[in-house]
Amino acid sequence: MFDLIEENPLLLLMMQHFDIDFRVGDLTMSQLCKEKGINEKLFTSIANLYNGFKPKENPIDSVDDVKQIVRFLKNSHDYYRNDKYPQISAYIKQLQENHPEKELKLLEKFFNEYFAEVIDHLYYEDTVAFPYFIELISHKPNNKNNLYSAKEYSEHHTDIELKIKDIKNLLLKYVIINDDLNLRRKLLFSLFELEYDLYIHSLIEETILIPFGYNMERV
Amino acid sequence: MSRHRLHIAIMVHSQIIYEGLHTVLSQSEIDCIICKVDSLDDLADILHSKKVDLLIINPLLLVNREKEARKIRKNHPGLSIVGINLSIVDNHSLALLDSSFTIFDTVEQVLSKLQRIGIDSELKAPSNDDNLTDRELDVLTQLVHGYSNKEIADSLNISIHTVVTHRKNITSKTGIRSQSGLTIYAISKRIISIEDIDLQNH
Repeated sequence: MFDLIEENPLLLLMMQHFDIDFRVGDLTMSQLCKEKGINEKLFTSIANLYNGFKPKENPIDSVDDVKQIVRFLKNSHDYYRNDKYPQISAYIKQLQENHPEKELKLLEKFFNEYFAEVIDHLYYEDTVAFPYFIELISHKPNNKNNLYSAKEYSEHHTDIELKIKDIKNLLLKYVIINDDLNLRRKLLFSLFELEYDLYIHSLIEETILIPFGYNMERV
Repeated sequence: MSRHRLHIAIMVHSQIIYEGLHTVLSQSEIDCIICKVDSLDDLADILHSKKVDLLIINPLLLVNREKEARKIRKNHPGLSIVGINLSIVDNHSLALLDSSFTIFDTVEQVLSKLQRIGIDSELKAPSNDDNLTDRELDVLTQLVHGYSNKEIADSLNISIHTVVTHRKNITSKTGIRSQSGLTIYAISKRIISIEDIDLQNH
């Protein structure tokens, strides 16, 4: 596992989402999964997403796997909510204070409104979508009477990633800011990190959780 | 989040060919989700619940199933079908395909054929030239002032459809999608002045 982390440090983020401590010692990936009670196939599939490969087949084998994925996604929500977004928000605020240009005031406003949207979306997933999947595995809901479905979930995708791209494009292509490279680099790095994790997040939803939901509903 | 991700279904019986295609597509620039389907019925089933943009199929699997294939094409005009030829294929089956490649083609040839049938927007980098036309500037200006497509269409005396096309072009030229983002773009580029914008409403 140590070698894998050395090859792709972003796996640390994945481990955090899995509630795995970073001090992996000399454990192999397989030993680590066993110790933490995580399906190795699932772990590998998600690690591969972080390394740029999409899963060939759905890694969900059991009820526990679904719980594991939901916990993973919820942990990533905490990371967005409590770590990444506040960090970006603080950088933008600082940038705005350092530079009087009004564009930056607008950018801050844009980001704050967007942040509020994101919080809403995360809340929706935490309280509506994820409980639905947990219910789906514990007892089969009668879908005809059920108001919610995996299809609805898949349609409830927001433009969360797209607005991050907008902010990145504005900073890299258009908005003129003089100097302050340290702060601007930190901000851009944060945006890239967030964008990357959001991308993986949506891939997990689209390639693993939603297809699983469809299959369960069909049974 | 998924609007531009391409959904690709692969229908081949050989596991090795499936894995090979999967690897080639996963490692290309195409942002896609790939699934394996075993039969046309299976595909029709999937199409019920979600959109599939591209089917890559061994054309031999279409033999004697032309009717079903035509039905799928009719019901899902957005679906492109590309054949992966493992052997000589009869003309009936070929007629059902938009394009085809063979297992002897190079990765580049395969990807370039996929591009040619029109999924290339996924492969092309967005245009770097953000020189907007006069009309696009008109639309942009109204847009950042908060006018709706309908209002813009009325005031410029063009159809809503044209407004939408202009908006698409603006986004592909600038790389900016949201209205707030476009506002900041327009100010940075001195297309509008900051005084025009009511900070309270933006």
